[in-house]
Amino acid sequence: MIFRRAAVLAAFAAFAILFTACGPKEKVVKIAVAVPLTGDMGTEGQGLRRAVELAVEEANAAKRFPFKLVAAPYDDRADPKEAVNVANLIVSDARVVAVVGHYNSGCATPAAKVYARAPIAMVSPAATNPEVTAQQNSKDWMGPRMVFRVVPTDDVQGSYAALFAAKKLGKKRMALLHDKSPYGQGLAEEFKKGFLAQGGKIVSEDGISVGDKDFKALLTKLKSDSAKPEGVYFGGLYTEAGLLLKQMRELGLKDPFAFISGDGSMTFGLFDVAGDAADGAYLSIVGVPADELPSAAKFVEAYKARFPSDERKPFDHFGYEAANIIMAAMERAGGPDREKVIAELKKTKHDGVLGTTVFDDKGDTTSKIVTMTRAVSKKRAFDTVR
Amino acid sequence: MLIQQLINGLTLGAIYSLIALGYTLVYGILTMINFAHSEVLMLGSFMALGLAVALPSIFGGGPIGLVGMFVLSMAGAGIINVVIERFAYRPLRHISRLAPLISAIGVSIILQNGVFIWVSTQSLRFPEPVAIDQVNVMGATISTLQIIILAAALLLMAILHFFVEHTKLGKAMRACSDDIQTAGLMGINPDYIIALTFFVGGALGGAAGVLYGMNYGSIKYNLGFLPGAKAFTAAVLGGIGNIRGAVLGGFILGFLEVLASGYIPNGAQWRDVIAFSVLIIVLLVRPSGILGEKLAEKV
Repeated sequence: MIFRRAAVLAAFAAFAILFTACGPKEKVVKIAVAVPLTGDMGTEGQGLRRAVELAVEEANAAKRFPFKLVAAPYDDRADPKEAVNVANLIVSDARVVAVVGHYNSGCATPAAKVYARAPIAMVSPAATNPEVTAQQNSKDWMGPRMVFRVVPTDDVQGSYAALFAAKKLGKKRMALLHDKSPYGQGLAEEFKKGFLAQGGKIVSEDGISVGDKDFKALLTKLKSDSAKPEGVYFGGLYTEAGLLLKQMRELGLKDPFAFISGDGSMTFGLFDVAGDAADGAYLSIVGVPADELPSAAKFVEAYKARFPSDERKPFDHFGYEAANIIMAAMERAGGPDREKVIAELKKTKHDGVLGTTVFDDKGDTTSKIVTMTRAVSKKRAFDTVR
Repeated sequence: MLIQQLINGLTLGAIYSLIALGYTLVYGILTMINFAHSEVLMLGSFMALGLAVALPSIFGGGPIGLVGMFVLSMAGAGIINVVIERFAYRPLRHISRLAPLISAIGVSIILQNGVFIWVSTQSLRFPEPVAIDQVNVMGATISTLQIIILAAALLLMAILHFFVEHTKLGKAMRACSDDIQTAGLMGINPDYIIALTFFVGGALGGAAGVLYGMNYGSIKYNLGFLPGAKAFTAAVLGGIGNIRGAVLGGFILGFLEVLASGYIPNGAQWRDVIAFSVLIIVLLVRPSGILGEKLAEKV
């Protein structure tokens, strides 16, 4: 018996020695990247992950910190439940100093509640629903204000699209579609508000389900609607947008019948789903595309050099900026202290790829630029509409 | 608008019917629900895409490539279904009725995740095998794609009908469906007929997968789930085990969905609720489905 106990002890000791020997010699600090890495939105998440990696690698190369910084990717699968699981994982890893994420508003909103209890800062590069930051000012918010975002919100985007439809395209009657998600429905409602304010009329409103494939019946109804809509505004993501476009064209709903949607549909995946049918779709994007931002020229080049075989996604420069803003805050805080980083993030005045970023008292960027683009399937590109 | 909606319903119904046939054929013989059928459908569409990518000069365009794509994908899907039956269901067939069912769910998960891990996690573009045009008929816009889908589905159903009703193998299949033990005593090899049934059902599922890919222009690892669930419902609605019932159920479900989202305000949101409410009502009135016969419990 005694012999056995000794053997067990010896084994434990051996393990202990082994583990300390393997332990990290240099200190590692992580910036979590919580985005969808698989599934339909995975392409966007992978782009953001690459952008944050690029920012972190640049900081390491320049020896900005006395420790090694790494980008730690977490897959939220664009699923709110999974986002909360991932948030709990992140919070429990003491080496994570702040979070870049999430991509979907539906994920960012519940995950932020988990981060608030830690508390740990979350800087979203893509979630555009106003609620993501607005929830911090509600009474039952448990924790400090720690949600920030570097993209303008849907109230800006939706009303811009409404203005565009009414003034630039001269539309008077529009049909409204959305995918019932916080992002899609929120965006559609902002469009509606703006379009009504412009004196336009919303002839119908329909919700569709994410994952649905067949919209022919619905589109046939729109086509033969006696109120004669002159176009459709869709709040949702690119898979459904692509199918809608494809089936619209098959039913003969072509120019000048307009298809307008938001940043969730403005990605290259749209061309994979819709093919040529994507041509002529109007898609708004918050901020300015990286190719047209003089301040982002260096980033565009560095990205191409680091990831030559990957397509740069529309939100990547926001991800890169979010990581850089976190790093700048960490520098000012004098180290990877979660709470000090939150305090410093509030004082952010960052000159980077997006120009100067300042957060308002909700945590939103004060920059409210929205750009309207038009899809060109042959080039796989979105041309800016001026 | 009504004509247009009816055409929409016909194409949707044709795809549901083809899938429903796969469920009903297997159920007819084994009284087992092949939950992996939706994955056979998905694999059918991936095989068609694989052919189009591997040999674009043959399968990328033209009617010959289109037919070849169909035949090869159907054969592939049929063989996959036979392999599933051989290794996942046959060893469990005599143990209990529940065991193959669980095994089917397992196979479904394995196949879906296999494609997820090894092929793609995202939607892949499905090529258009022939140029798509629109034809205007009585105020309705019909695309050539819809015509192809309908024609292919109806042709396959006609072939199946001929096979089951007018060939010796079809007769053996019907005999096994009536009473597999007695059929065995009459010199029919039940294992062989069961494998054949799985092949035919899988091939129809594969064809539906190709049509599905063509219709929606993109395919994904989980595409089988929703149409699979709906086609299964269609099979139950028509009377599971009954071939004509599966076809009827598929078309009814297609029309219900189209009419719900086309004519009811905000119906797109309520489409599935409406379609399934009708299903529940039908089953309350006719528990064995519209064309299902009331069978005495098999001994």
